[in-house]
Amino acid sequence: MMLETIKKEFPIFRKRGVKPLAYFDNAATTQKPDVVLERMDAFYRSKNAPVHRGVYALAEAATAKYEGVRGHVKDFINAEHRKEIIFTSGATASINMVVSGVANAFLHRGDRILLSDMEHHAMIVPWQAAALRKKIKIDFVPLTAEGRINLSVYKKLLAKHKPKFVGITHVSNVLGTENPVREMVALAHAVGALVLVDAAQSVAHLDVDVQNLNCDFMAFSGHKMYGPTGIGVLYGKKELLEKLPPQVFGGHMIEQVTRTKTTYAPLPKKFEAGTAPVAEVIGLGAAISFLQKIGLKTIAKNESSLTAYALRALKNVSGLTLLGPATADARAPIFSFTIAGIHPHDIATLLDREGIAVRAGHHCAQILHESFSLDASVRVSLCVYNTPAEIDRLVVALNAIQKKFQS
Amino acid sequence: MDNNDIYREEIMEHYRNPQNFGVMKRPTYKVEAKNPLCGDKILLQLKVNKKGIVEQVRFSGSGCALSIASSSMFTEWMLGKTVKKLKAIGPKQIQKLISAEIGSSTDADHGPVGPARLPCMLISLYALQKMFSEGR
Repeated sequence: MMLETIKKEFPIFRKRGVKPLAYFDNAATTQKPDVVLERMDAFYRSKNAPVHRGVYALAEAATAKYEGVRGHVKDFINAEHRKEIIFTSGATASINMVVSGVANAFLHRGDRILLSDMEHHAMIVPWQAAALRKKIKIDFVPLTAEGRINLSVYKKLLAKHKPKFVGITHVSNVLGTENPVREMVALAHAVGALVLVDAAQSVAHLDVDVQNLNCDFMAFSGHKMYGPTGIGVLYGKKELLEKLPPQVFGGHMIEQVTRTKTTYAPLPKKFEAGTAPVAEVIGLGAAISFLQKIGLKTIAKNESSLTAYALRALKNVSGLTLLGPATADARAPIFSFTIAGIHPHDIATLLDREGIAVRAGHHCAQILHESFSLDASVRVSLCVYNTPAEIDRLVVALNAIQKKFQS
Repeated sequence: MDNNDIYREEIMEHYRNPQNFGVMKRPTYKVEAKNPLCGDKILLQLKVNKKGIVEQVRFSGSGCALSIASSSMFTEWMLGKTVKKLKAIGPKQIQKLISAEIGSSTDADHGPVGPARLPCMLISLYALQKMFSEGR
């Protein structure tokens, strides 16, 4: 597939407006290609039925599709077993399931867990709630000035506190930093910690292989990888998921219910209470096919050169301070920055007038912003359909905003 | 350029040189308010005489062009007004006073901005309302 023509597969970019849309908020959510929309639409129009219930042909076909996507996800992240793939409503729900389950079943008063200063609120806040409940202490790995994990402090904290759990993002949603997850997992395992990798910002950009990373759990969302909202994945090693207690209870997740007790269904059902979001799962499957058709290696290569281009281009904006690594290696195309004397919300509103959609604020990472002594930043996050020409438009627009504020 | 544009030169001028910017000693009322959109804070202070008329007003803090300019314009309006009048003012009057158009976001050149920016324009009104509900 030619990356130059990929934009044509997204209906939102075919719309003719006053100015063509330069969509730079992909770390929040990506746009959806035709194939995702068409498959979801086709399901609702002619194949809609509940899964795992009916014995009629329509329901059996829906079940086969739904379970087919589970296998597809397994292959996509190279999990060992299909039952290690749990469908959730998104990365946030996946992380909450792991945190509550691990805290309730495996942790004790006084235990310590280790996170980093670049974690998304979705990792921090569930742990803070669990820490209050279980009297657990949370430590944070600091970042280097360049916005990378301080590995020497990470090693020291592992050795000193022997944490029971490490939660780490694969790619920072603010800095773009790709963390050395494989190495960090090995170091954590050496002190006996379980590791959850937040892959929300990496699955659509890198070739993610859970067996290679050897993480215990992984969480990601469908809508940040060209799929629909409302669907996400929790990956967990089979033996751990089997021990992990469910956190959401109801229909489908049971083996037997009597007046006195309930026994739970085996994996993956145990973690999928309620009616499954079938159309969303089908949409996720279509999104994975879309990614695989281009190829994650092609995507990573293309985005790496886009990153290098953007890093060079942003140097042409005076007063701009970039958060995160200044070089393209081990870095996703996410660029957060501030411009001296101009509030991020003014920049975002004025860029919007040029047809450029960016995020302004703390991007659900207040601890990270605090560690850089900032309240907010502007974030440009790119993906497969963004182009160097769009980055040129951004630079022109930013320089015009500079001029407006200085005159 | 549109006269209702939130980035028109009049607003930019207020942002670059805000009126009533600073901190006073011994205010009659003071309050700190937070912009729920971005967490920016402003401090608003009023000195009111025995007749209940605003004699002096100061605001300080950091914020976007719209929040600083609207606070500058709004505090100019407050001077000489009675507390009773201040208590009666609402979002519609602020919008009129600042003459900034906030409506549905469009991709037109200088159209209105989205309602998400409304808190920026109303930050000093929020402060004023909080001030009177909290007392001195």
